[in-house]
This record gives sequence, structure tokens and C-alpha cells, in this order.
Amino acid sequence: MQKFRDVAIVGVGLHPWGVFGEKSMPEMAVEAITEALADANMEWREVESMVSGGYLWVTQREGMFGILSGTAISAAMGGIGIPITSCANACATGGAIFREAYLAVASGLYDTAIAVAADKSAGGFFRPQSEDPQFDLDYIRYVMTGETNPAYWAMECKRRMADVGTTEDDLAEVKVVTSKIAPFNPKTRYKKAFTKEDVLNSPMVCDPLHLLEICATSDGAGAIIVCSMDKAKKYTQKPILIDAAVIGSPTFGDHTIPLTYLSTFPRPGVGILTESRNSIAAAYKMANRRPEDVDLIELPDNSSWHYFAYLDCILQAHDGEAEKLLRSGAVDPMTGKLPVCPSGGLGSCGEAVVAQGLFQIYELAKQLRGEAGERQVKNDPKVAIAQTYGYAGNNAACIVSKAW
Amino acid sequence: MAKNKIPIIEGLFTWPSDKPQLIASKCKKCGTVTFPKAAFCANPDCEKKRDNVEIVNLSNTGTVWTYTTQIYAPPAPFKKEPFEPYGIAMVDTSEGLRVLGILTTTDNVKLGGKVELTAGKLYEDDENEYVTWMWKPVS
Repeated sequence: MQKFRDVAIVGVGLHPWGVFGEKSMPEMAVEAITEALADANMEWREVESMVSGGYLWVTQREGMFGILSGTAISAAMGGIGIPITSCANACATGGAIFREAYLAVASGLYDTAIAVAADKSAGGFFRPQSEDPQFDLDYIRYVMTGETNPAYWAMECKRRMADVGTTEDDLAEVKVVTSKIAPFNPKTRYKKAFTKEDVLNSPMVCDPLHLLEICATSDGAGAIIVCSMDKAKKYTQKPILIDAAVIGSPTFGDHTIPLTYLSTFPRPGVGILTESRNSIAAAYKMANRRPEDVDLIELPDNSSWHYFAYLDCILQAHDGEAEKLLRSGAVDPMTGKLPVCPSGGLGSCGEAVVAQGLFQIYELAKQLRGEAGERQVKNDPKVAIAQTYGYAGNNAACIVSKAW
Repeated sequence: MAKNKIPIIEGLFTWPSDKPQLIASKCKKCGTVTFPKAAFCANPDCEKKRDNVEIVNLSNTGTVWTYTTQIYAPPAPFKKEPFEPYGIAMVDTSEGLRVLGILTTTDNVKLGGKVELTAGKLYEDDENEYVTWMWKPVS
């Protein structure tokens, strides 16, 4: 693999996560961009290239502008004639557009680039976007099998419980551990720390997952500005090196049926979540780092099952290690030696689908810079990783590190 | 008079039938099975020739890989009237396919348990009952 030039994160901004029915997605994006530009001490006209997240629920909100989001956001900012790509990789979109922004600068074509995404998924918009019974597999799956997202997560969870011995207590503990830091994050939607009793007494949604063990959907927007490392000092005293920015896709023979599909043809030795394992492996290879090098993790805790599955995936551990780490306190976001989800995670913010990856990268940047306020982790992190996974076998991951 | 039972979407399982079977495609070269049927073999090492793929009806029994109970009513366009919680399973067939389906009941379902394919009603109107394939636990 040819080595590109080094690229740094120089500015991050988030519109808060929540429910913002009165604002359009481009409006929310403008607020996130404005915060990122201020963070980078950068003018809008200094941005040379842009990649935007394509919204999925276009038949329900904002129509075609949801997916042609790039030029809609640029129009709201005031067009400056730069190249813009709109990109839809489901819940992994944030990570995917971050990678595109990275590549635009790493290649040497541009010195600065911005990844921006806004999403209004509050109210639960996960549903088919057509009624095409011939070719829309998502529609066929949904009306014929009634498989909701939580149902899929619950099926994986039940299988994991049988395979590695995850307990109901473990599942509840995920919410306890990730929510206790949420009151200290001004960008999250839910700011309550929950007890195990709260979690186990919340309604069962899809056996074995309770309401408080799955994430809500939210509105939110994020923007990340990247710059060539040699010019980064113009914008920040604390540039963050992008060690790796990758996306992953499934391998034929994956053992699970990804959401939107009706079947899979499992092949021996392939395993589940190949898009995620492929992406993590590519990230470590690109960064020339190993799981032991990581000081801080943001993972996609869409449900308590995800927390465990993705902790194992990110650490490239045997299935079941994640439960042991949680029980030992090692991954506690406030006191652990390897803090996981110091943002409060998806459980605390609700997922704003295509912007979620940027929420995670914002958190990594704030924590590495030591700017996370009351939720600042205690282990002086130098290397951090984020991963998001989404509909139809999409995944993205990045590894970033202190460069000052 | 009994109402007609009509698949919500046609062409996914053999119907009418006492023993419905899922209609899938199978690669003549490598044996890869895909449901619903696909024009090309999904194996990355197989040639993408339409003639390599044939339509097959899958065996109507399988083994539960995992399952759950859907307790709340999903939003439209899914319809189950009157709504009651239902089971959903991933089921392994003897052809090597792992496939989704609603369970007729979650009583006596267990991982590794045997199920057979049937058709079950999700909703009806004045003339018809609308059915999908369902997995029925067998002892």
C-alpha cells in the first residue's frame, strides 16, 4: 500500500442530538459546520472539498434533498463552487464520508476538506422506502417477516447468550455503565444515569432486549474538518493524526442475515459481522497498530448486544471477552483503563443515522485534546478508535491519535 | 364460505399447497442457494451467467438458529390484524440456507429445534385472507 501524506483533524462541530422538528436538515448542518469552522479558526471559503451524508428516509422527510444533501447544505451555507459528493452508507455513513474527506486531502488533491451529515431519524423511521414487491428486498422482508431492527438485534443477542454465556445482568449493565456519563455530555439527548433495576423493569421490546437496552432514533448533525498535517498548525495547536479511515463490506458466506435481507448462505469459518471484522482489520493494517495500542473506544451500542459484539470485534478478541471486560470494570468510561463510549454512546444520544459516525469522531477529538470537561477520561489517551455499523452490511472505522 | 388465502406477495413460496416450500435459486456450479431467487450466483468466484442458476423449491423443514418475540406492533407497511406479539426466527434448511420467517408460536421453540414451513394469515378483508410463510415448531 502506498503511503499518502499525513492528514489531521483540525475542527469538529456537532448540532446537539435530540428532536428538532422545526429545523431542516441543511439548517442543522449549517450549525454543525459553523461550530467546526470556529473550532478550526477557519473561514468557510478556506474549505476546498466537501463530502455529505445521504439521508435514508427520503420518502418521509425532505424528499430528494435528503439524499442530494451535499448541494442542499452548500446552498444553505452559500455555494463556493467546491467539489461536493453525497454518499449514503446507512449507519456507517459518518465514517464513510470522513474517509472520503481524508482521501481528498491525503491524495494531495486538496489541502482541506469537510465531512458533514445531518439526520432527522427521531420517531423511528426505519422502514422500507418503497412498496415494490418485485425488487425491494427491504419491503419484501418487512411485510412478510415483520422483522424490525430490535428483532434482528434480539435474535443475535439470544444466539450470543447461548454461545458465550452473556447474562441478562450483563445486558442491563451495559446501559448502567454507558448512561452514567451521559449527564456530563451537553450534546446528548438523554442525560439520565440508569440503575440496573430501571433497565430490567423497562418493557421487554424483543426478547431478551428491554426498552432501555436498545437505542432510540434522534435528530442530529455533525461536521469534521481535516487538513494536511503540514498546514494543520495554521488552524490548531492540537492536530489529531488520522492513522486510518476505512470502510468494510460483507464477505460471501457471512453467518448472519443482515438487516434488509431475507437469507444468507453461511460458509464454514466465515462467521458473523464480516463487514465489521473486515473494516477493523483494515484499520489496524492501515494504522500499523494493534488492539493493545488503543486507549479509547467509541463503538455502536445500538443495543446491549452490539456493545459486546463490537467490543470483541474492535479488540479482535474471542467472542465473550467483552462480557468479562465489562464485569471487571476495565471498560468503564469514567474509571476504566480502557474507556468505552465516554460520550454516553448511542444509548444516551439516540441514533441520528448518517451523522452518528461524526458524533463518535467528535468525541474522540475532544477526549484526545483533553477538552471533554466533566466527562474527560482519566487515562490520558493517545490513540483512539471509532466504529459504526449499519443496514445492509455497511461498516466504517477510524483510528486517530495525538499529534502534538 | 371459507375465504381465499392469498400470499401478501406472490412468487416467494409454492401456493396453494398443503406443504408450502420457499422458492429459491441455486447455482448449478457451486450449490449456492439464494432466497428470494436471484438472477446470478452470489458466490464471488462463480461466473455471472444467468444459465448457471436454476429455480428450486426448498425443503419445508429446518432448524432454528435463533429467534425472538416481537412484542410491539411494527409500523406500516407491516400489517398483522388483530395485533398480537409474534415470534421471528432465523432457520437453517437442509440446502444450507439460513432464512427469516415468522413463527406460528413461540411455545416450545428452542435453538436447534425443528420447524416446518406452513402458511399463516397476517390480516384479511371481506374476500380474502392474506398469508405469508411461517415456521411451525415440531416436536
